[in-house]
Amino acid sequence: MSIDRERVLDVLDRAHSGPAYRDRDFNVKVVAEALAASVKKYGLARTCDPENPVNRDDDLADRYYRAGFDAAVAIGLYCKNTSRVIRFNEQEVQSAIDAAPREFWLGEGNQRVLYQHRRPEDPKLPVWTVPLSIAVTEDVALPLIEGLARIAEVDALEGPSLETIWGRPVRSGSPYEHLAGYYQAQLMQEGIRRAGRVGMPVDAVGSSTTHYGVLGGFGVEGGYRPKHDLILILSIADFWTSYESLFKLTHAVVTGGSYISASSWCMLGGWAGGPEGTAVACIAYTLLLVATFQGSRTGVPPFDIQYMGNCGRRAQWAMGVANQAVSRNTNLVVHSINNQVAGPCTKMLLYETLVGMTNMAASGVSNVVGTRSAGGRLTNYLTPLEHKFGGEVYKAAAGMTREHANEIARRFVPKYEAQLPEKPNGKSFQECYDVERMVPSPEWQRMYDEVRAEAIEAGVKLK
Amino acid sequence: MNSQELQEELRATIIDGDEARAAELAYESVGDPAGLPAVVQVAVDTIKLIGDRFGTGECFLPEMVLSAEAMLAFMHIASPHLEKATGKASKAGKVVLGTVQGDIHTIGKDIVLTMLSASGFDVVDMGVDASPIDVIKTAEQTRAQIIGLSALMTTSMPYQEETIALLRELGIRDKFWVMVGGGPVTVEYARRIGADGWAPDAGTAVRVCEQLLAGGAKPGSGLVTGEGRTQ
Repeated sequence: MSIDRERVLDVLDRAHSGPAYRDRDFNVKVVAEALAASVKKYGLARTCDPENPVNRDDDLADRYYRAGFDAAVAIGLYCKNTSRVIRFNEQEVQSAIDAAPREFWLGEGNQRVLYQHRRPEDPKLPVWTVPLSIAVTEDVALPLIEGLARIAEVDALEGPSLETIWGRPVRSGSPYEHLAGYYQAQLMQEGIRRAGRVGMPVDAVGSSTTHYGVLGGFGVEGGYRPKHDLILILSIADFWTSYESLFKLTHAVVTGGSYISASSWCMLGGWAGGPEGTAVACIAYTLLLVATFQGSRTGVPPFDIQYMGNCGRRAQWAMGVANQAVSRNTNLVVHSINNQVAGPCTKMLLYETLVGMTNMAASGVSNVVGTRSAGGRLTNYLTPLEHKFGGEVYKAAAGMTREHANEIARRFVPKYEAQLPEKPNGKSFQECYDVERMVPSPEWQRMYDEVRAEAIEAGVKLK
Repeated sequence: MNSQELQEELRATIIDGDEARAAELAYESVGDPAGLPAVVQVAVDTIKLIGDRFGTGECFLPEMVLSAEAMLAFMHIASPHLEKATGKASKAGKVVLGTVQGDIHTIGKDIVLTMLSASGFDVVDMGVDASPIDVIKTAEQTRAQIIGLSALMTTSMPYQEETIALLRELGIRDKFWVMVGGGPVTVEYARRIGADGWAPDAGTAVRVCEQLLAGGAKPGSGLVTGEGRTQ
């Protein structure tokens, strides 16, 4: 598969000829009003059930899908550079969905990975990609990448991202970022080689805040592989996009890139309003990313601005129903992200992971990227252990019913929800790992063992 | 309409986010200069209530923005009259606010902008991807007292530090307080780069700006976090 250049040109044309808006008017008069209208039209107001964070109602999920589809057509994507909206009609949105692959392979040799459409409660194994682009220092980057790639449940890599390159800060949008894209590709390949997993696919480029990192690292000699790695296009939250994202799209065209990961966020409490509007927004934005960026792996998780994560009841509910809506009504390879706020060496991080991963597995998500250890706030606050746990739970939850996932959420959310605003940092990689031997500290290992036992007791079939 | 009725309708109008009606009520309220301070206080209290509700998740961004715009429509008309009536400037201070260079995240900055504007600050919006020199030039041209810098990524945070460094090298560090914030921006980082203010959320950003202006300390003399000054 290759990226359709004519569709790319059409998108660029729309970004320069679509209806013009002021920033504020697009947010208030287009996004907020269209989402509110969709919620009203499909009778979705107050359908969020915080007591049951995982939706089990197919009809409700399908109504959400229709609301999201309508909203996608009404809203479009606002290009901040041109102040114009890239908008599609119903047939165009549907054609883009139909043209997206229902499955595809990435990687090489015995490390090839099948990304495939899943439906809610689907027994097909999902794909686990680690970690998110959490900043790390150069001294720990390589050991961490190797340690993560050694985890059997890990299928692909995305982060971490580099805080510095050769001792210099990676200033986004600068030539440093351009170099960082290339430098990170080399570190990734070396870490993968040391782990004995040559050929493993990578989401490229984790250190590319703007397009410069992608230009430096993707499709260049010694960099990421256009036929075997995903090119990451992460748009601005809540229906905005930019030249930075469009440059990544055109770079996929000129380098012969095959598959695009198009994703973003919708802010719960932001322009979308409460959980119902946010779920509709997540669906609408997902469909627009498919239409705009030809996303092969696409998803828009919610992000609750109250605590900057999505493991609380309202966000889990919105995430579950939105994922079910898309996975039930399309053949897309749905992508999502669990946004924990607690850091390594806390039980809370593992509880957040348990709730989020079972919800996503049961709701038809094909590929989760995680873990957002310590909310991604702190340099070097991630370890291999929480990623091992995330993968174990995600794979074990393939085939899990939504009823069961909901029981897990009801049981474990109360263990941490009061601490969501406090965001416990936990400990850094160096503080809770023996970096030389790549083993967790006894304290962190004990927490893992205890939460793992709790998960098994709750019916998660961990090996 | 008597003063009590006017105050009650103004409260409801701001909560409903009715900009046009807020302007009408402003024209009505300036007809009674003696009663104007009390009416303005109702507007201030109401927008603080909206801000608190936003902070606790009881209302969302669209409602808060519409309320803030109604508040601004009211204050635009009422402020000159209030200054005449009380002899005091009605603006709390001027803030140049932007998301730093290389960073195009907008929503956090927009929430802070809305809260500051609604709290009486005159805010100059630099938008996103704002370079250190452009921010500084704008702060000089607009005679702002505070520069607010949002960064949502570890790779854009260095531009907060570079803005402060540039102020120092240009010999104007003592002209502007610099407040920083954003998801990965910790209080320790703010202290390390020599910021004057740090806020983890929009409500705190308003308190930090108020404390910076009221504190009497010069820029570059310690960090204000909304809880007070620390070293």
